[in-house]
Amino acid sequence: MSKLMIRRIRVIVVIVIACFIVFAARLAYLQVLKHDYYWDRAEKNRYTKITLPATRGKIFDSQGRLLATNRPGYVVSLMDRGEGYDPETIDYLSEILQIDREEIEKAIEGRLYMRYLPLLLKSDLTPEAIARISEYRWKLKGVNIEIRPIREYREGSTAAHIIGFLGEGPVDEETRKLWAEAGYQYKEGDLVGQSGVERTWEPYLRGIDGEQLIETNNMGQPINYLERKEPIPGNDLYLTIDLDLQKAVEEALARRVEHLVKKEGNKHAGRASAVILDPNSGAILALANYPSYDLNTVHKNYADLSQDPRRPLMNSAIQAGYPIGSTFKMVTATAALEKGVMSERDIIRCGGVVSLYGDTKTCYRSTAHGAVNFYRALAVSCNIYFYHAGLRAGIDAVAHYAREYGFGSPTGLADLPGEAPGVVASREYKAAVTGGEPWYPAETMSAAIGQSYNSITPLQMANYVAMIANGGTHYRPYLVQKAVDSKGQVVYEAEPEPLRQAQISSRTLKILREGMRAVTLPRGTAYAYFSRLPVTAAGKTGSAEVSRNTPAHSLFVGYAPYENPQIAIAVIIEHGGIGATGAVPVAAEILEYYFTGQIKGVTDN
Amino acid sequence: MLNRRLIRNFDFYLLLIVIVLCAVGTFTLYSATRNMEGLPDPLYFVKRQLLFMGVGAAIMLLVCFIDYVNFKNWTGYLYGANLVLLGLVLVIGEVEKGAMRRIPIGFFDLQPSEIAKVIIIITLARLLAEKEGQFPYFRDLFPSLAATALPMALIFLQPDLGTSLVFLAILLGMLYVAGAQGRHLGLLIGSGVAVSPIFWFYLLEEYQKNRLIAFINPELDPTDKGWQLLQSIIGIGSGGLLGKGPFNSTQVRLGFLPDHYTDMIFAVFGEEMGYVGAVSLLLLYTLLIYRIFWISTQAKDQFGALLCCGVAVMFFFQVMVNIGMTISLMPVTGIPLPFMSYGNNALLVNLTSIGLVLNVAMRRHKIQF
Repeated sequence: MSKLMIRRIRVIVVIVIACFIVFAARLAYLQVLKHDYYWDRAEKNRYTKITLPATRGKIFDSQGRLLATNRPGYVVSLMDRGEGYDPETIDYLSEILQIDREEIEKAIEGRLYMRYLPLLLKSDLTPEAIARISEYRWKLKGVNIEIRPIREYREGSTAAHIIGFLGEGPVDEETRKLWAEAGYQYKEGDLVGQSGVERTWEPYLRGIDGEQLIETNNMGQPINYLERKEPIPGNDLYLTIDLDLQKAVEEALARRVEHLVKKEGNKHAGRASAVILDPNSGAILALANYPSYDLNTVHKNYADLSQDPRRPLMNSAIQAGYPIGSTFKMVTATAALEKGVMSERDIIRCGGVVSLYGDTKTCYRSTAHGAVNFYRALAVSCNIYFYHAGLRAGIDAVAHYAREYGFGSPTGLADLPGEAPGVVASREYKAAVTGGEPWYPAETMSAAIGQSYNSITPLQMANYVAMIANGGTHYRPYLVQKAVDSKGQVVYEAEPEPLRQAQISSRTLKILREGMRAVTLPRGTAYAYFSRLPVTAAGKTGSAEVSRNTPAHSLFVGYAPYENPQIAIAVIIEHGGIGATGAVPVAAEILEYYFTGQIKGVTDN
Repeated sequence: MLNRRLIRNFDFYLLLIVIVLCAVGTFTLYSATRNMEGLPDPLYFVKRQLLFMGVGAAIMLLVCFIDYVNFKNWTGYLYGANLVLLGLVLVIGEVEKGAMRRIPIGFFDLQPSEIAKVIIIITLARLLAEKEGQFPYFRDLFPSLAATALPMALIFLQPDLGTSLVFLAILLGMLYVAGAQGRHLGLLIGSGVAVSPIFWFYLLEEYQKNRLIAFINPELDPTDKGWQLLQSIIGIGSGGLLGKGPFNSTQVRLGFLPDHYTDMIFAVFGEEMGYVGAVSLLLLYTLLIYRIFWISTQAKDQFGALLCCGVAVMFFFQVMVNIGMTISLMPVTGIPLPFMSYGNNALLVNLTSIGLVLNVAMRRHKIQF
């Protein structure tokens, strides 16, 4: 063998050894240095986590009657079983489910890298669609039908604004933070409450999702079921509202609005709200808006609902501010009495018209009430008296006591989202909105009877009358009585929470109550309907002018029984006319129902 | 025929390496296939591999009986017969993965391209031995080039790029050892590089281009070839220092690794046996190649030495390309790992070539008194 050959064989052997070293180094890099990384990748290959959704808590009324629950619904999904999607199947599905072909194809394209996991096409199938899919089963490839819980609202539209509904709508940063503190990390696309207690109590209701670890093959098919973390069901909520009372309130509002429209030809009446509070705790016993909407079909009808001029989606009882007209007069009286500029016995002469500070104002329909003291003036709702009372006390005192009654800031209801603060007519407010214009005494006269800039929500009205009834305590209004976990343990129990004690003497409050009592007695503005009530009551009617061309808002605030208040009530019917024709009969019916359990005939429709 | 000296010169060392490789290969094949779905028997592949191992061993020993010098005289027939088979495969071959490679005969598919490897080694050994180390002109390389080009072209037409490349490696390796001039070899390689764009644009199939692209960036195409590469690296890397243990490859069990019992079997071994196992196997292959080269230096003649070198280069190239592919140092070419990958023809051919080397070793020119 030649030397050249031996040398050349040596060269090749050196190359072989060099290759060995390079390969061994590469293996060391992969298997030793990067082992953790590749181990992880291999584990990720193997395992898939499936979320086991927690059952959402139910919602009950104060008597344990079911308002919101979950029912099984059918969900259809499409899966690539490793042979690609079958175009014929997509055709059938698009026809049965009435989804555009392009839409399905777009969804498929968007999930190229998760192609072996089922793609949700439609939830809550109709029985017809299920029947048709079963019929074509032998032709459909990769179609799954699963059962998933669907939220069901047992009472449809009843208490819709209180309960709220679920959706995938956006969640702002603040809410996310709040939820995170309560132990729920929101993820984009989660089905969460969009309104009502479904939203504010989201972390309590939703529970904690479980997880199932699955070992899968390269097709994503489960091979082994490994660790399982059971989901923890959400807590059930018991509300303070009484379903029967709530229904009675809603029906009374609806009946009265329809009556105004049909029988009295009032084209403008259409929206109404009522709030019933327990004046001794702040518990909301009923809270209703007319018109309402059905929680079960809200998604389907959302476009129509959001464009309806009557705004059924809006929770006006806490979100809409109104001039509250004569129901404001107890505030003016408080200011005059507390300042000592007027006594309840002082007489004012009402000639039906008054000209002061270059402005001429009248009592309702220019009725002359003659000589009236406070009690008479409140009972007949004499404007002239309260102009004088307001002028004597001054706008600053009137505004101060309006705030003492909780106007101009939210009442503190935390169980519903979006409570409006409202506005108290004041020197400062006017200056702020007009760019520094001074306050005129004529405006004090308007403010004294609840007009001017005053903007007050029905909930604030109910809270105001509850404060008069209970001696000046502002309780935080609340809707959730207790939360109970899946094992029956009470995890939250509401306690009445006095937020503030109004700085108003009990003597003044007593005078107010006596004045409000007179409203429901003979010659009082609410007597016609209240005379037939089996319970003593106190209250105040109101009609708030909003424009020349439409009837006034019709209002009523009151409580009962007079001696021992159990419920406080505020009713408003937008453009319902004077109090006596709109809000008063509604309030009377509500009181009748509350105290007798039925509505027989305090009103004659 | 078999005298004492022949038996004394029998290279048990090489045989031992081959036996260990076969044992490791069979065991890994069992691990890789025992849970495969659709098999008539979990030992189906193992049994077939063992059967062909037995046949191969018989051929190997049979080859030892005939003095290798005789092969020199049969080169013409062998070469001719092989060309006929390679031609036949293009006409009646069975299509597999888009290529015609096999001729079914009974329970076994003949793969002439595998057999062609050992025949080209014998052919080149004869052609180059005749030159006795003298290659003054470039034209002196022509007979070898022509002899290699013919079967290579037929294999390339199947198309089977991987096996064609093995031919190229054998040719270059044997020319180099035989004493071809460095500048001639340089010219050969240079012109090869120069014409490679023609291959890229006109002769390579789309899937072959994709493999090269996937090699350069495996994450680019994580669903097909790149995915396979990625899964191979994930398997090997996750094996760690000591491996997950026999039968514990999750990549195989859950079907993440395609071709796991053929081209990708090193990934299974690496995952189950870890760094220690993988480097041990590499060392075993290095010893195998080294031993064959050593035997070639002991050969009594040029022909025997070149036979051994051809076999060594063939193993070296296949091991390097196959393992290199699984650890992403080489593109995916579909070259099996000798003695490890499942494949009847390859096993027969590999054992036959070992038989040739043993034959050369037995008849080495070494007088020991």
